[in-house]
Amino acid sequence: MKKLKLIVSLIILTFFSLFALFPIGYIFAVSFKNNNSFQLSSFQIWTDSSSFDNYIKLFTETQFPTWLINSLVVSTSVTLFGITLAAFAAYALSRFPLRGGPTFLLVLLSTQMLPATMLLLPFYLLLSKFGLANHYLGLLIIYSSTALPFCIWQLKAWFDSIPKSLEEAAQVDGSTRLQAFFKVILPISGPALAVTSLFQFMTAWSEYAIAAIILQDSELFTLPVGLKSFQASLATEWGLYAAAAVLVSIPAVLLFTLLSKALISGLTMGSVKG
Amino acid sequence: MKTDSFSIKLIIRNKINSSFKIMALVLFFSFLYPQLSLADAKDKNFIHIKLWHQLMYAHRTVQAQAIANFEKLNPGIKIESVYKETEDLRSSYQAAALVGGGPELIYGPSDQVGPLQIMGLIAPMQDYLDLTGLNDFDPLSIIKVQDQIYMLGDTVGNHISLIYNKKLISAPPQNTKEMFEQGAKYKNGFYIVWPMQEPYFFVPWIAGFGGQFITAMAEPQLDQPAVTQALALVKKLKESSFVPKEADYETANALFKEGKAAMIINGDWSWGDYQKAGIDFSIARLPMISETKLWPSPLVATKGYSVNASIKPEKREAVKKLLEYLTSAEVQALYSKEVSTMPARLSVRLTPTVTENELLQKSADILLVGTPMPIFPELRAVWDSLRAQYQSVLGGSSDPVTAAKMAQSEALRQIKVMNEIRQPDEQAYVVKGLILLFALFLIYKLIKERGIFKEIIFGEYRLGYAFLIPAALVVTLVIVFPFFYNIFISFSNLSLKTFQDWSITGFHNYFDIFKEPQFFSVFLKTLLWTFLNLFFHVSIGLVLALVLDDLIPFKGLWRTLLIIPWAVPQYISALTWRGMFNQEFGPINQILTEFMHMSPVEWLSRPFEAFSACLLTNVWLGFPFMMMVTLGGLQGIPKELYEAARVDGGNALHRFRYVTWPLLQPVLMPSIVLGGIWTFNNLNVVWLVSNAGEPADSTHILVSYVYKSAFNLYRYGFSAALSVVIFLMLLLATLFYFKISKSEKGNP
Repeated sequence: MKKLKLIVSLIILTFFSLFALFPIGYIFAVSFKNNNSFQLSSFQIWTDSSSFDNYIKLFTETQFPTWLINSLVVSTSVTLFGITLAAFAAYALSRFPLRGGPTFLLVLLSTQMLPATMLLLPFYLLLSKFGLANHYLGLLIIYSSTALPFCIWQLKAWFDSIPKSLEEAAQVDGSTRLQAFFKVILPISGPALAVTSLFQFMTAWSEYAIAAIILQDSELFTLPVGLKSFQASLATEWGLYAAAAVLVSIPAVLLFTLLSKALISGLTMGSVKG
Repeated sequence: MKTDSFSIKLIIRNKINSSFKIMALVLFFSFLYPQLSLADAKDKNFIHIKLWHQLMYAHRTVQAQAIANFEKLNPGIKIESVYKETEDLRSSYQAAALVGGGPELIYGPSDQVGPLQIMGLIAPMQDYLDLTGLNDFDPLSIIKVQDQIYMLGDTVGNHISLIYNKKLISAPPQNTKEMFEQGAKYKNGFYIVWPMQEPYFFVPWIAGFGGQFITAMAEPQLDQPAVTQALALVKKLKESSFVPKEADYETANALFKEGKAAMIINGDWSWGDYQKAGIDFSIARLPMISETKLWPSPLVATKGYSVNASIKPEKREAVKKLLEYLTSAEVQALYSKEVSTMPARLSVRLTPTVTENELLQKSADILLVGTPMPIFPELRAVWDSLRAQYQSVLGGSSDPVTAAKMAQSEALRQIKVMNEIRQPDEQAYVVKGLILLFALFLIYKLIKERGIFKEIIFGEYRLGYAFLIPAALVVTLVIVFPFFYNIFISFSNLSLKTFQDWSITGFHNYFDIFKEPQFFSVFLKTLLWTFLNLFFHVSIGLVLALVLDDLIPFKGLWRTLLIIPWAVPQYISALTWRGMFNQEFGPINQILTEFMHMSPVEWLSRPFEAFSACLLTNVWLGFPFMMMVTLGGLQGIPKELYEAARVDGGNALHRFRYVTWPLLQPVLMPSIVLGGIWTFNNLNVVWLVSNAGEPADSTHILVSYVYKSAFNLYRYGFSAALSVVIFLMLLLATLFYFKISKSEKGNP
């Protein structure tokens, strides 16, 4: 009985892992091909005619390295900035009976409901009023605030699940509220902070539409915008695109792998207490 | 609990801390500054000219060479050239030019002139051109609107032709009869391929039956025998044994490049790629229609430069110089030499570069039967309606006669909505009144709640407010303004013709939504889409989490593998899935046929299958999130509960029913609500997998419908209204959910 269960489990896992990896294998195979097409004639990832040419070309003939650095800078700053805002706000909403607090939470959630494409033009108008069009600062503000709602909800739920007695004990010991927050609450919030950071990072790492309208110099392009330049309407450089896609996905997959333990406990929006 | 000294201490700490925070932020941004200020820090001694273009990859190196030459000749001028994909070029330019910014020059196909001129975003070019020199230009390359020049081309072409692999066939068919005969005999694979979904590759045939699909007055002419006959011809061709069952652009291209197809119908932009792939090919006219003895007529467009309507006076001279250089004989010859483009200048066409180029000579012959590409914005409506009907004919869900009729009526309808300018009526006063009332209400609220300011600064919870305010400010600034802007627009007549002077007109856009023929079917499809996605996300996530929560070898490894779909950026995975769904060459059908002995599925050319393809892609994208959430939930369930259930004699199913599921529900619910909202509004997957709603706009969900109306048909007011409706639906659903879950909590 035990053995049967294990076998069934392994079959399920194998099936879904193959499902998960299938497109990844496909894109790897395309990235090793040299004939600039998005079609494969066999299931082999590596064939006789495969090579690393696309990857070499990416680093020698395109601005890929610049885009990579840009994206790293933007995504890291968005994460730092966003997580700072979110942690403070979530703590405030969780611990203080602020006027308008619940309304604010609902407003945050409702920002997810308007189709983002309609916000593009007003975003641009707003940023250019402040002279932030074609600036990373503009991207920084927009990305961190589009990811804020999820992050605040997530962190608030986590903080809610931490008993208040913990800080009270710290305060009795002479800490201020702020110190208690830094010394008591944040250290045990690792998983939730990890989840929200990851979320902020991924927003900035893979967003295309807003970046495309705001960034106008190719030295400023982030990866998604850069990658798009391999795609002309009917003449896409598929080999380069696939190679770049593989390289773009690697840091994200690494981050997910590193944080996967934290993700599990951090994602549950606090506890099972409901 | 607080003593006075305590609160003083708190204030001081607070001050120290907040100034520390500010310092940290300043430091942080100053670190970023070198990157941030790249745009400003450029040398002020130069005049900077920006050029946005949509040149394909191979042509960009030629452009870089030309620009380098120009900068050498004109040491005071620096050129910044940026590539944008055709649609992005237009929408980014629109946004930038609207606020008086944007590049000085844009380079693109002639059909962008129509909309940009109507919006008033590009300037007449007479002041920038040497008018006497224009005699040298092919008349096709000078794009005029109302006798003013709005674009000067540097190349003429973009036309499709028959491209044949000389190794596979000796001569292309001269007429359609020959084509069918030769095709039937051809045994080395496919005889002919073409991108089957694109109406651009269909339209030339109409002329072969003596028709014209749009008049010089921008009136569509789709309901005529020539269109019906052309549709019938292409359908017959598609159903021939020597043609693949399904071929989008990439497939057709790959087949030709790999020698699996003897001929392809493709444009002049593809030549470079074929040369690079080492194919020995030549080109010819599309075969003459045997019945009519008429040649099919490909559309001929020019690609050229247009000038921004708001150029700073000090830059005018430099722009003029650059324009002159980029359209000069020297540069056109360079392009012809490097990438075989047909120069716009007649004098360059007489140089050996062109006369000794076999492709260009044959191309000139094809151009003789070409039709100039119309530039009016109405063309979009024609493409759009034709695309849908053409695809239904090829997919077998409509016949040529009905399709031609429907294409015509749909084109007329779209042109009507596109060109309609609503004048403000009584409703406008109602809307303005409501806005005023709302503003008054806000002011009243502010006065009534003015205590809150005191509370924020001096109140007991000021620390809490201080924590919250930065986030609140950013959210207000970035989300609330666009939100109200959007609502404002939804009451307006903002569209192509009113781009720069729109006004509030009333509730018309909202009424239009419910009059839209597709609205209810799209709405139902969106509900189905959301429900099915959530169902699969949650059930797959649950099964995997239950398995992973057990004692399994290599738990971490499995988890890592299963989380990968979440980590890959969506725009990459969506495009990859599209490639995998190809009917004949995609790996999905290969698996179905080779390993499961099923017949291949036409994933992308039938409505139901295409919808399933989008669904499958999104299920793939979304199950890892639910799996992780569920795993977290499972770990929070105390093991003693299971023990207790076991002692009570419950089997595995009982334990799940009475322990696991009830305890998981509260953990899963918030994620399901958020996941539901995201799925409902997931533009990426539907747009990229179904290639903007194909076939025949049948895969749209509400949000892709919004996107399409806004960016394809310039119906900004309408799409703003539709997005407000989407917002309200989601808001109501969420509030309803909160109410339910609260009342459930209320009576345990």
